[in-house]
Parts: sequence; C-alpha cells; structure tokens
Amino acid sequence: MVYYRFIEFDVFLVSIKCLKRMDIPLKLIFKQSTVLLTLWLCSCAITPVEPWQKGNLAKPEMTFEGDTLDKNFTEHTYFSKEGAFGGSGVGGGGCGCN
Amino acid sequence: MARVWGEADVDAIDSGNEMNAKACEHNAASPANHFGHALMKAALGLPLALPLALPLGLGVTVQARADSAPDKALVSFKYLDYLDSQPGFDRIRVKAPSVLIVKPLSSEWSVSSTYTADAISGASPAFHTQALKTMHDERHALDVSATRYLSLGTRTFGGSYSKEADYLSRGLFYAMTESDESKNSTWNAGVSISSDQINPTNHVVMNETKQSYAVIMGLTQVFNMNHIAQFQLGHYSGKGDYSDPYKVFDNRPRERVNNTFTARWNHYMPNSESTLKMGYRYYEDDWGIRAHTWDAEWVKPVGNGWTLSPSLRLYTQTAADFFINADTSGSPFPPFPTPGSTYYSEDQRMSGYGAHTYGLKVSKYLDADTWVDLKIEQYQQRGSWKLLGSGSTGMDAFLAKSIQVGLSHYF
Repeated sequence: MVYYRFIEFDVFLVSIKCLKRMDIPLKLIFKQSTVLLTLWLCSCAITPVEPWQKGNLAKPEMTFEGDTLDKNFTEHTYFSKEGAFGGSGVGGGGCGCN
Repeated sequence: MARVWGEADVDAIDSGNEMNAKACEHNAASPANHFGHALMKAALGLPLALPLALPLGLGVTVQARADSAPDKALVSFKYLDYLDSQPGFDRIRVKAPSVLIVKPLSSEWSVSSTYTADAISGASPAFHTQALKTMHDERHALDVSATRYLSLGTRTFGGSYSKEADYLSRGLFYAMTESDESKNSTWNAGVSISSDQINPTNHVVMNETKQSYAVIMGLTQVFNMNHIAQFQLGHYSGKGDYSDPYKVFDNRPRERVNNTFTARWNHYMPNSESTLKMGYRYYEDDWGIRAHTWDAEWVKPVGNGWTLSPSLRLYTQTAADFFINADTSGSPFPPFPTPGSTYYSEDQRMSGYGAHTYGLKVSKYLDADTWVDLKIEQYQQRGSWKLLGSGSTGMDAFLAKSIQVGLSHYF
C-alpha cells in the first residue's frame, strides 16, 4: 500500500512536469479546480426540495435578478467608476463613460 | 409559507378575497422584482401564477403553471439623481429618468424593453484628481428583448442601443436557462456581442471603433427550503480603442480580456421573516487589474406593505500595469510616462484603491399591484482602502451620492 502511494505521488509529479513542458496554464487549471472543488463541497450540503416546500424560495427577494431598473442604474454607475466590470449576465448597452 | 403551492389551489376555490389579501402580503415582502422574478420562478418551477393571478380574486382554480410568461404586464418608472465629488469640488452630475415595460404575449412568450435618458454634466479630471475640465453630454439607451418559456427552461434574445454625442454602441445578446426535472438545479448560459463607434468632441481620434463579445455560464442551485445559491463564470474579450480621449497621457492597449467568477447566496430567515442576500465577484483582466467585490443586503418587511433593505458593498482593485502614479512634485503638470513605455494612463479608475458603498432602500405597496420605492446610496473610493496590499497614493478621495425614486404597476 505504501509503495502504491509513492507511485501515485510520482505519477502526480511527472504529470505536473509534463504539463509545464507543454506550456499548459497550470495556474488556470488550479484555479478552475478550486472552483470545481468548492462546488462539489457545496453539493454535499444539498437537500432535495419538493415544489410544495418552495414557499420561502418563491419570495421575490429570494430571486437573483432583482429590480431591473435599479440594477441597470447601479451597474452602469460602477462600470463608469471602477476598473472591473461584468460577471452578472449578458446584454445591456455599452457607453463612453469608461 | 411552505404550503403556498398547495394553498394556491385550495384557497382560490374557497375564497378569492382572502387570496387577494395573501397575494398582497406576499408581494409586499419585496416589490423589487418583476420580470427577472418571473424568469427565475419559471426556471425554478415555483408557483408563478400565485402572486400574479390572485389579485383578480376570481373563484376559479389557479393552475400554477411553472413555465409560462407572466400573467400580467408591468410598467415601471425610475428617476436617478447622481452626484460625485472630491474634496472641494463637485464632479459629475447625472439625472436619469428610466422606464421598463414587460408584456406577456401568450403563455409562452413575453417581451421586455427599457429606455433610459441620462443628462450628464459637471467636470472631470484631466489626470489623476487634478485639472478638472467641464463637460456635458446626453445619453439615450434602449434595450429590447423577447423571452420564450419552455417546459424546463427559458430562451431570451434581444438587442441594445446606446447613443451619446461622442459614442454609439449597438449590441445583441442571447441567453438560456435549463432546469432538471425537480427544478432545484438550473443551468444558464449567455452570449453577447457589441459594436461601438467613438468620435470624441475634441477630435483626438475620429471614427474609432471597439468590438467585443462576452459569454457567461452558471448554475443556480436550491440547497434547502431557505437557501439558494448561484455560481457564474464570465469571459469578456474586446478589440479597439480603449483609451480615454479626454485625459492627458492616456494610451491603453487595444485589446482587453477579462474573466469573472461570481457567487451569490440568498438565505431566508424564518424567525425574523427576512432575507439576507450576499454576493462575491472575483475579477481579473489582462491589463493587470484584479478585483474583489463583496456585497450584502438585508430585506426586511416591516408590515403594512413597507419593506426596508439596508445594503453594504466592499470593493478593492489593483492598479492596471500601465497606471502612472500621482506625483505632485511637478504640479500643476502631470507626471510624464516612463520614456519608451507603450501604454500609460493617469485615470483614477485605473489606480489601486478600495471602495465602500452604504445604501438603504424603502419600498411601499400602495395596493396589490402598485408600489413605490426610494433608494439612497453613498459610495466612496480611497487609495488607502485597498485590501491585500497598498493602494495608489497622491489622489483625492472620490465620493458619490445617489437617490432613486420609482413607481411600478402591474396591469
């Protein structure tokens, strides 16, 4: 069993070296793996919810879209004042404010 | 509230009036959502027909159709008054009336449109936070979209148009959602393209263009009766003129690529009958900007149709690789770019800083279908507030205050 662990570790190191040689963006792979791992950990906490148990989830404030015009104003303001933008959805017009 | 789905079928037969009151109470929890609310509910398989059909007070069985367009049309008006400043000087003021219309065409289709007119005036710094130059502009923006509701998902396509004296932007987008049978997991994906034309009033450049596309994909997951979360990955890529023609020493790369990871989490707390909404966004681009954004909002219905929502947002970003730090030794002249450097900018938005936003939204239902809302926000940027390392120095703090008033009505 111990030998097996050594072999496994060796295979891991060799793989990393190969990936480095092939110029594959390791940083990106690690980042995406972290995201996937987080999602997987989260999935462990899921309790299936039946339609008749969705009363609280049905409340307007429990949705993610929110008030469209408020959101438009807010995103437009941050777009014109900050270096970072995007991430919440697609669509909406560009502007010369940034 | 866990029995709402069942109640819809039973109560609609027994007592239309009672249902009407319940619908009013239900809506009063937060009037902040409408079109998106319908979309999301459709995607989640929630009893969409409940709040929309009940105010009719008809003594008929309400068939809770999970995947249909909203039963009622919505019209919403909003007016924004925004003013930003730095110590001793007001900078930009924006007054913006805006209108949203959502209209169901059938149980399968709905159309939506927003129109905004921005009146922009005031002064903007020529570099860092110095040499304020007056400016004024008007912006007219129109978005139109159509949504089709399927048994386990939605498809939305639309276009956007935004026109200023010196800038024209036209875009198209397509977005889709797809749920599993239980509707506890909903996948979404979207793509947009945009084509912009730039003609600065000072003629520094003429007939410049910018072309970009953005893609997004994500998962919305119900965790249990009171928790729901959303994870999204976004990618943006653009080519063209990104420089600011109204700033001195501003020459930015003609390409920009960014990636975002966004997580949002809503938690309903039955004990206090309130909702905590939290979000985080990680942002990185090829200009060297890395940014983290955290936001939280607490939505608390306080009775008689009133809802209070205090909110907080924290933001931090690193400076772009080509940002030139402020240096007042040569004042009033701007610091020169390093000799031989290709790209440079002295724009405060490209600097390293942190920002805080505090907000409060108050809304009130006037009847089952009509509500008004008021939102005030204060935003502040400072170099010293940058997290994870020190920010850019030598610039004044930036302050913005805004107030929004709105009126919405289902019909």
